[in-house]
Amino acid sequence: METAELKEKLKVQIIQFLNLTDLTPADIKDDEPLFGDGLGLDSIDSLELIVLLKREYGINIQDPKEGRKVLVDVNTMAEYIKANGQK
Amino acid sequence: MMFYIHKAACISPQQTFGDIDIEQLHLSVDNKLYAIEPKYPHFNGNALRRMSKSTRMGSGAALPLLADEAKPDGIIIGTQVSGMEENGKFLNQIIEYNEDMLTPGSFVQGTPNTISSQIALINNNKNYNLTHVHRGLAFENAVIDAAMLINENPGHTYLLGGVDEISANNYTLDTLGGWFKKEACQNDELYNSTTNGSLSGEGATMFTVSGSKTGALAKLTAITTIHSTDTVIVRERIKSFISQNLPNGEKIDLLLSGENGDARTLPFYLACETLLDNQVPVARFKHMCGEYPTASSFALWLASNFLGNGLNVPQHMLKKQGDFNGVKNILIYNTHKMGQHSCVLVSLVE
Repeated sequence: METAELKEKLKVQIIQFLNLTDLTPADIKDDEPLFGDGLGLDSIDSLELIVLLKREYGINIQDPKEGRKVLVDVNTMAEYIKANGQK
Repeated sequence: MMFYIHKAACISPQQTFGDIDIEQLHLSVDNKLYAIEPKYPHFNGNALRRMSKSTRMGSGAALPLLADEAKPDGIIIGTQVSGMEENGKFLNQIIEYNEDMLTPGSFVQGTPNTISSQIALINNNKNYNLTHVHRGLAFENAVIDAAMLINENPGHTYLLGGVDEISANNYTLDTLGGWFKKEACQNDELYNSTTNGSLSGEGATMFTVSGSKTGALAKLTAITTIHSTDTVIVRERIKSFISQNLPNGEKIDLLLSGENGDARTLPFYLACETLLDNQVPVARFKHMCGEYPTASSFALWLASNFLGNGLNVPQHMLKKQGDFNGVKNILIYNTHKMGQHSCVLVSLVE
């Protein structure tokens, strides 16, 4: 899958998993921070995103430090999936 | 006396929240009456998107009642299905992901006591907190619980509510079971229908109740629940309820009937009507809120507002005009799926 296509798919999945019903994929920028001032996600959402990576891409993140590097924005998630995705 | 109703709020398929207007009937869509939800400005975005619809509606209806009050001494909710939509999501995840990698969101939001818990969290309330789930008598049991607590603690105030939501799975199952109409039917034609089943509905109604008369909207004088599928037995029980609880020299001035367009339940409602004098007005409410297990809480909201807030009974509710001079005692009779019945006597505060 091309990176651009993966990012679009990822945005759809983020909206679905986190129930961000007032957003569309176009509202999420590739480099927009997922937490804090960006999308404003919180710790419960980070758990949902880790489950998303496991269920949809076969990626198991067990080290919290690694999780912090991956769950920065859509770009970092897509890069990690490209490098480590099992599905 | 059981208790006094001081405040009431209702999110329903009609304009009952905020600027109340029940004269204009909002119509059903695909045999369902969906609640008109406010924008919930008091909830932050993250909290709101994680709430099931029933939790959203329940908390949203409770907040205005809690704004100016001291913390209630208890939160008592009646709900049959609560966040059934989220419950279904969680059960599907168990199957889809082979009991692995389950996230807590849908599980937490899919349990019945989430509504009372969410309200307690918002209100920082660590007092009595209970959810009754007795199917079609869930709200009635919450009322009885509140009445018993107030009997023991007359100075206490309780938040009392009834909440249920439409869920896709339950709608399908109940339609297959014949409880919702299979043919297209709009709510403004509900009572002309001669087939089985009703329209599906939902809503959240909240009350603050206590033993104090001062400033009360209405008095909940008596309540009873009946378990029977026999119209003769039910009629006798309603008759006893009225004679035992209506003060001497007074009469029922308005019947709020839970008639729901289901040919099978109609004999029960007709049996109740025949107990009353010919001039007693009869008003129906299920075309406004639809059929759901705690719909009687919507009727109690109506009765409280008719008695205490000067709300007029709109023409579309009236089955029988009767004599409307001075409504003092309102009888609410409702049955859910024929086996569970309730009578509530609501009176003017004098």
